[in-house]
Amino acid sequence: MKVAVIGAGLGGLLAGAALAKEHDVDVYERLDIYGGRFTNLPYKGFQLSTGALHMIPHGPAGPLARLLKRVGAAVDIVKCVPDGNIMRKDGGQISFYSFRGLLSPAAQAKLPVIMAKMLIQKSGTVADVVLNDPEWLAISDSCCGWALSTLSKDTPAAEASGILRHTIGGGPGKYNTPGVPMGGCGAVADALAGVIESHGGKIHLSSKVDAILVRDGKAAGVTVDGERHEADMVVSDIGHRLTAGMYDAKFSRPEYLAVLQKVKPSAGIKICLAAEEPLIGHPGVLFTPYTQRVNGANEVTHVDPSLAPDGMHLAMTHQAMRSGDVQNEIKLGLQDIRRMFPDKKYSVLMVQSYRDDWPVNRISSGFDLGNLTPVKNLYIVGDGAKGKGYIEVEGVAAGVMNLLDTLKVNA
Amino acid sequence: MRITGACVGCGHCKAFCPADAIETCGVSKITDKCTGCGICKGYCAIGAIEEGP
Repeated sequence: MKVAVIGAGLGGLLAGAALAKEHDVDVYERLDIYGGRFTNLPYKGFQLSTGALHMIPHGPAGPLARLLKRVGAAVDIVKCVPDGNIMRKDGGQISFYSFRGLLSPAAQAKLPVIMAKMLIQKSGTVADVVLNDPEWLAISDSCCGWALSTLSKDTPAAEASGILRHTIGGGPGKYNTPGVPMGGCGAVADALAGVIESHGGKIHLSSKVDAILVRDGKAAGVTVDGERHEADMVVSDIGHRLTAGMYDAKFSRPEYLAVLQKVKPSAGIKICLAAEEPLIGHPGVLFTPYTQRVNGANEVTHVDPSLAPDGMHLAMTHQAMRSGDVQNEIKLGLQDIRRMFPDKKYSVLMVQSYRDDWPVNRISSGFDLGNLTPVKNLYIVGDGAKGKGYIEVEGVAAGVMNLLDTLKVNA
Repeated sequence: MRITGACVGCGHCKAFCPADAIETCGVSKITDKCTGCGICKGYCAIGAIEEGP
């Protein structure tokens, strides 16, 4: 079968690698690089990233690691120890699992009710689950903002419940520990590209898909820079909305198009720091509930020093975008960083924002629309088609696995 | 080169600019160090860079 993949982001590369073993795969990427928001961005001797923070939420045991292994992509993913700390108001750190110690007695008393709701509540938002308690909201906003680029009030309780079960519900040995891919996000993209090419597939860079060909209600190929390429199946990694704009609306369904008008992307800001000394001191996540904007930070060079010049560290902060005033959001984030790391030697390398047509997620977590489209043999992967209850790239991997199950592919 | 209002500030152009001629903070701006090589255009995530002054 001939397969055309639109977009060489993580979802497109995963799907392409899984399908290339048995099918004739062509991946079309409009940029000069593959990897989308999951590859390296070399800058001043550092390996920054195009999006993700060189971290795989569930480390060497999670869905992404399992799918990489399944398709034969050799990537060394190293567990982060500790997996997560919280920055206290005084700037010190405690283990994430000791968060209770940060709460007042009144807030602590709500713990049993909140934990029970967190594991079973299917409706409402995370803000509802934490009873809109300000002390709990500070912590849940930090977690949601870091992991999903959403705030508690915008995060569906059911999604958070699924994530919690996958993260800590199984206890040690489940998925809980995040990991760092050695070589950063780019190592994952390179390994997947290698798998595709080793099976005879091709990745066409600087190749913009203009339209999806539909014949008798079925995807029949794509046009790339005006040239027709017939295919038996089309897999799109550019999200439902942009994909739907690539074929005639008469092949769609009104209810599907109506849903696409309603879905919202999630937006965020990443600030990359060049540190002359460790700012965080470990490779795990540092959650920051007591800042104005920054939700968390990491310093993955404790695991992979090659991501920074000799003797330096790369620290990255992330914050969900709380307003449309990007400049003010960045200003508040930079203020947070100055307060988080007083007297430390570092400089701001790059401020990267993700929104509009280059967002953190094309569809906010919990609202993903799955792989299917109104057009037969046209499928969606990537963010916007993530598996339920998984954080970011783990969700992308889970979504691709859902597609492989649908197609009964044994990659 | 010219950056349009569609820029989201992802920083690709800044990272790949060989002349260090781009500032990024919320949105990207091209400084007078630009040589017009056009490399940034190929890496722009959303097609927000055009040729011209």
